[in-house]
Amino acid sequence: MSVAAVTTGLGKPKSSEATPAADRRRIRTAFAFLAPSLVGVVLFLVIPVILVIILSLTQWNLLTPLKWVGFSNYANIFKYDAFGHSLLVTAYYVVLNIPIQTVVALGLALLLNNKLRGSAFVRIVAVLPFLATPVAMSVVWTWFFDPTNGIVNQLLGHIGIAGPAWLSDAATAMPIVAFANIWQYAGYNMLFFLAGLQAIPPSMYEAASLDGAGKLSQFRRITLPLLRPALLFVLVTGVIGSFQVFDTAFVLTNGGPGNATTVANLNIYNTAFQGFRIGEASAMSVILFLVILVVTVLQFTYFNRRTTYEMV
Amino acid sequence: MASVTTVAPTAATKSASKSGKTSVPGRGLRLTGYYLILLIIVIVFITPYLFSLFAAFKPLGDILGQSPARPPTSPTWANFRQIFTQDDFGRYLANTLLVTVILTIGQVTFSMMGAYAFAKMEFPGRDALFWMYLATLMVPNVVTLVPLYVMFAKAGLLNTYWAIFLPYTLGVPQAVFLMRQNFMTIPKEVMEAARLDGCSESRILWRIVVPISKPIIITATLLAFVFGWNNFLWPLIVTNSNSLNVLSVGTANLNSNFADQWNLVLAASLVALIPMVILFAIFQKYIVRSISLTGINR
Repeated sequence: MSVAAVTTGLGKPKSSEATPAADRRRIRTAFAFLAPSLVGVVLFLVIPVILVIILSLTQWNLLTPLKWVGFSNYANIFKYDAFGHSLLVTAYYVVLNIPIQTVVALGLALLLNNKLRGSAFVRIVAVLPFLATPVAMSVVWTWFFDPTNGIVNQLLGHIGIAGPAWLSDAATAMPIVAFANIWQYAGYNMLFFLAGLQAIPPSMYEAASLDGAGKLSQFRRITLPLLRPALLFVLVTGVIGSFQVFDTAFVLTNGGPGNATTVANLNIYNTAFQGFRIGEASAMSVILFLVILVVTVLQFTYFNRRTTYEMV
Repeated sequence: MASVTTVAPTAATKSASKSGKTSVPGRGLRLTGYYLILLIIVIVFITPYLFSLFAAFKPLGDILGQSPARPPTSPTWANFRQIFTQDDFGRYLANTLLVTVILTIGQVTFSMMGAYAFAKMEFPGRDALFWMYLATLMVPNVVTLVPLYVMFAKAGLLNTYWAIFLPYTLGVPQAVFLMRQNFMTIPKEVMEAARLDGCSESRILWRIVVPISKPIIITATLLAFVFGWNNFLWPLIVTNSNSLNVLSVGTANLNSNFADQWNLVLAASLVALIPMVILFAIFQKYIVRSISLTGINR
């Protein structure tokens, strides 16, 4: 390689690599660099996506021979496995989780976007939960919300309120699961809003206040529109993650009471790894994938339309 | 992008600090209110850590009988001793460390090599392959769960260490993309000069690209480590023997078997939580920046 490079080294860089032997060696090296991640991506992402569609057309428990059943799983999971219910439960979780989490994150960002002493420390503290092992933190929340020994009901008891049995009450179980998630990711999402806020030139606010715009109108006309990319990112990633919620629901309630918190991912887990019905679980995975895809596309279209509308 | 810890003041805070010098009445009150809110925020985020820390050093009777806000009067290691001797938390901790370290080293190294190839080398099919990586970036984890399990079952790899870390160790599209975007900003001339000097591509990567890309590599390392440490669903389904449990699975098992033994389950939770708090304390600036980076790049 060095010889080839030196002999033609005075020309353009492109031509210095043009000898066929050196070219071939460069390509070989490139593929050698790429090989591990390519194997990983193909083996653990591309093939599984194809495989899950194939498996969704079968009935199989991993032991007896695989049986083709066409699309019947897609009907059966709604009829016999309450998959429709678990999709609704998941949607309920997303609706509880995303708006509150986004508003809290935005509120934290607006509140902490200054140079006052202590703000930097609080920004850091708010991000700390992002690293918390969800399973371990869920155990802590189980204790906090324990009906008799939990601190929440003890505090409520001091002011004369008999708190509910949070996690075994169908009305409060899902809000607690959502709360666990909001607590963990509010500070994380705050960072995207902070980055967005810093990108807004202060001169825009100065010009606006010279024009007599009040704080509220500045927020609506400058801050919110310019935070739109951050907002889109927070919403899209939050929604994708929320549709797949598992750890917190598994530890906090394990789907209960009844199946009030049996989110889609928990239903897939039970179907595949407790019932060993691979075909049905695969069909559920495919449907959940489609739901996530559609919701993500809808968010992008909505944001794009809004953006063009505002700019006209 | 600017680091989050040095935030440019908004117009609102600027005027606030200006008026401070001319001591407008009510400013002191507003500031007190502000710090009261900050205090509440800190309490909300710290309390779960602090109270479980207190509880883990109390006997069960004190957890049930005292306010959680009260530090242990005579701190005891008994709870930790019990989960490390009667349960196997020493083993779980070692397992978690082992698989997380392997996962992290593999993921970062292989993703980095792929990122370098995409960013700085020319080969046929590069753009098509890059699009494939980008497309797989959109695949939610839940979709691959069942088929991956089937593949590992058929390969006879269930209940092995391999099963726990392998899917995330050969390089993942997120990390490849993150580093590729960063490597793209390195001027082409740097590589070309090195190639003219007879540097091999791996020498260029390790001796030139890695040193100047340290921040992004630390970022990828931290993200991989946190992911590996906290991962639960995948280890839960591919292992079912006690000797292969990672901390998340061990904690969940302990919690479902001894739900009311708060002293034990909270001590177990802390074994998983505390290392992440320490990691955060050390790398806090990197973590804050790395989160922002992943946001900008996506």
